[in-house]
Amino acid sequence: MTRTPCSLAALGQVNALGKTHAEIAKRLFAGDTSGLTLRDDLVPERSLLFGAVRDPLPEIPARLARFACRNNRLALAALEQIGAEVEATLSRFGRARVGVVVGTSTSGVGDAEEAIAVRERTGRLAREFDYAQLEFGGLSGFLAEATGARGPAYTLSTACSSGARALATARSLIRLGICDAVISGAADSLCGLTANGFASLGALSARITNPCSRNRDGLTLGEGSALFLVTGDAGGVQLLGVGESSEAHHISAPDPEGNGAEAAMRGALADAGLAPSEIAYLNLHGTGTPQNDPMECAAVARVFGTELPCSSTKALIGHALGAAGALEAAFCWLVLANRSNDSLTLPPHVFDGERDPALAPIRLVAASESVKAGAHPRVLTNSFGFGGSNCSLVLGTDADA
Amino acid sequence: MKLSLTNWSAWAPGIETPDAWRAWAREPSPLAKEGAPDGKFLPAMLRRRCTPLTRTMLAAAWGCLDANELPTLRSVFASRHGSINESIGLLENVVRREKLSPATFSHTVHNAQAALFSIAAVNRAASSSLSAQEDTWACAWIEALTFLERDPSAPVLVVIGDVPLAETFAPLVDEPAVPYAFACRLASEGSGPGITLALEDSDQPLPRPAWPHVLEFLRWWLSDEPTLAQGSRGTRYTFRRS
Repeated sequence: MTRTPCSLAALGQVNALGKTHAEIAKRLFAGDTSGLTLRDDLVPERSLLFGAVRDPLPEIPARLARFACRNNRLALAALEQIGAEVEATLSRFGRARVGVVVGTSTSGVGDAEEAIAVRERTGRLAREFDYAQLEFGGLSGFLAEATGARGPAYTLSTACSSGARALATARSLIRLGICDAVISGAADSLCGLTANGFASLGALSARITNPCSRNRDGLTLGEGSALFLVTGDAGGVQLLGVGESSEAHHISAPDPEGNGAEAAMRGALADAGLAPSEIAYLNLHGTGTPQNDPMECAAVARVFGTELPCSSTKALIGHALGAAGALEAAFCWLVLANRSNDSLTLPPHVFDGERDPALAPIRLVAASESVKAGAHPRVLTNSFGFGGSNCSLVLGTDADA
Repeated sequence: MKLSLTNWSAWAPGIETPDAWRAWAREPSPLAKEGAPDGKFLPAMLRRRCTPLTRTMLAAAWGCLDANELPTLRSVFASRHGSINESIGLLENVVRREKLSPATFSHTVHNAQAALFSIAAVNRAASSSLSAQEDTWACAWIEALTFLERDPSAPVLVVIGDVPLAETFAPLVDEPAVPYAFACRLASEGSGPGITLALEDSDQPLPRPAWPHVLEFLRWWLSDEPTLAQGSRGTRYTFRRS
């Protein structure tokens, strides 16, 4: 069966590593953790590392002031990088044929915190606060109004799989013929709610997230945005496969056997029509929590064995929750876009080097590692969310094998 | 794409059966502002963890599907506000530099209703949770279409609901603020009556019903009117019987 291609035709991204492809790629492949910063303003009496975006962010235009929150400014920083491509696409297909499907877990809740802090002092919410900053649908509403896209615009929020799931929906909208192009990806912003929420769960690392280490003690939070222009064109980097599952297990802990993770990866391979041996690299969800890494390594080993190069990039930018799936799909996009001949340079797995012997012995990417991957490499990225919402994506450089 | 709507269920205070909804649809009137279902179909342990929104949405889901399909169908959960009422207390904790309740925090994710559905129904199929301001219902329909694109062979459960926003934010939102939920079973083919959805670009604002968009959809579905148009921002969504 021939299926409509799904091109990730243009990418804009911003995270703790920077806001240009060149800068982010250089630091990604170098395993540079210096983007993380110590902050004592988010969790009372704790100084913790966060993957905060330090680049100046664009201001929200005055006509869209009701959407003016940090989350939307992160999204705008990503959008501006693909502004020319988005504009050309709107002219090519017409604004009614361009949709917006994005993920977030925070929306502008950080700005709602400030509004409530003002209410504590004055009895009234901050004047500049608008509910459109806080509601999840505000992110898609903002991007639709900022670009003029008039196709369907909605926000998916399935915790840490939101960004990956948005890309799955974008591809389907094109295959259904509802859209000719979709602006898709995610944005998530650091805020007191998620920092203190994860602190209350005992899930934050006291040092730096240390995935797959025997010393791992939790995650490092991050933020950022990655937005793709998704079209039905052939060529370039393609979204080849999507796999999804739910766990029916627990609201905040994964199934310890990794059955949901395994189902998502197998689903993505089946959807792409690929054998496990055809995947050249896997970007792990790799949060560095005691619960995630054992189940994920076990599931990866069951699907792929222990030779597939894998890495978690969470130590570079932190865990950006609802944006993680899109930011890591963007890293996979950079891996594919930076291939030379048949060789792929891979993001190293950054941790303290002390492998937890209790984990399945999957192969972790070493510093400066590249692999031979043939003319049409394919890579896979995992995103697993609270409530057991899993999504795996396969990206590659061709539409049909 | 034509979809077949074979089962539906809805809940609002005092309107809990299909007959009660048919009576309401003949003579619709604004809905009551308070109430939540008892959630007796849920195990007691789980019921205690369910917010009013979760109980309301799960009541609609359980009313819509039989016991064979509850554990197997893929699902789309849609809510404009989701668990934002539960987040307000946490935001106050943050501002006052107080400790947060981990259980409350875990249940404020937007997919909390989908997660509790998955746990209560022992359903491991793909599920999505979305929000789209005033167009949340039309977008839930579209999200169901995307699931059927990925696999047309099995139907999809769509569940949409909201409860009134708490006082902190309620004055900021102009909408019919009532507790409600609606669930339906959508299939890409089958014996049920068909509905198509068309999208068009339009600057003409549409009048808004005095009840949530999805209950206007239900009223229309139970009537003999050929089409229903909805949409708040530039995009018009027209449902048509076929």
